[in-house]
Amino acid sequence: VTQDADLVARCLRDDPAAWDALVARYSRYVYAIIVQAFRLSDNDAEDAYQDVFLRVYDRLGSLRDPEALRPWIAQLTRRVCLDRLSSAGREEPTEAVEPPGAEQGVHDLDEAFDVHEALDALPGSCREILDRFFTRDESYRTIGEALQLPAGTIASRISRCLVKLREELEGRSGAVLGSGGKREHE
Amino acid sequence: MKTGDVPALALAEVLDRFARYVPGPGGGAAAGVVAALAASLVAKAAHASRGSWADAAGVVAQASLLRDRCVKLADADARAFAAALSALEGEDATLADRLDHAAEVPLQIADAAADVAALAAVAAESCEGAFRADSATAAMFAEAAARAAARLVEINLTVTEADARLRQAQRFVAAAAASAARALDAGR
Repeated sequence: VTQDADLVARCLRDDPAAWDALVARYSRYVYAIIVQAFRLSDNDAEDAYQDVFLRVYDRLGSLRDPEALRPWIAQLTRRVCLDRLSSAGREEPTEAVEPPGAEQGVHDLDEAFDVHEALDALPGSCREILDRFFTRDESYRTIGEALQLPAGTIASRISRCLVKLREELEGRSGAVLGSGGKREHE
Repeated sequence: MKTGDVPALALAEVLDRFARYVPGPGGGAAAGVVAALAASLVAKAAHASRGSWADAAGVVAQASLLRDRCVKLADADARAFAAALSALEGEDATLADRLDHAAEVPLQIADAAADVAALAAVAAESCEGAFRADSATAAMFAEAAARAAARLVEINLTVTEADARLRQAQRFVAAAAASAARALDAGR
């Protein structure tokens, strides 16, 4: 049972801690879709964010495949954003279309989510060295000093950690496919 | 337009900028570009060795990041250099700050170039034989970039003998030189 399937099962049993965990797990993802992919204004973004989680709360029971929680939430978020766009500044709501790049934006956010999850599954030493090099832009020397490792070994350590990260990502995509995993959108 | 014209024009434009524009990009930016070019050679050697080298993809990823870092630093150096020159020509109250910043950027270039040299040495030791010479070339370019950038730190008007940046710059050059020697040994 995956983390998402477990969360869904617990939420459907009205476990308050599970709802908190679900919101914590997906709050940044939802917000990123709203502001990065759909570029809603600050006010609209705040309302849309609330609306998404209200709909998740109301409709979670209709989700047929608990493994597909993330694409389901993404689809809900897209619909909420489209509703906002179609009613923005109009007395009569009109059919809205997704802004250019929105689909690619959601795809990129999905990839980032996967990488983030895979990173979380790596040993702490790998997480730290990859974060320092790729996110914090630290040099081999700075990383070596901080982690008390010989600077000459840092490049090879990063490469080995990237291999582990790729294995983790491949394992995850294999697990999704292995679970019958077509991604269900409601 | 024939295939291949676009890269040729782009390179010509870059070279023109170095040759014609004053203040424009100077030695620090050139060091950044050379280090970026070295990182590209490392990426190529690793990419071509994916079939025989387990760490190759990881080295490609690191080389790509280092290349981007060096390009950004080259741009930052051109800006810092222009700002410092402009301050030197006028009576600018921010002169000391601008000069100080103009020393900071080449120090970062020397640091990044030392990393490129280190990665080039790793590539030279493990990539496929046909690409060892490219990796060794990359290491020598990176060492030269580190040396040039360190020299710019040294001659900056705000850097004194006691300045810690001077010793840092020298350490980066020593590290880059050691990596280049490793890469050359591996290529023999």
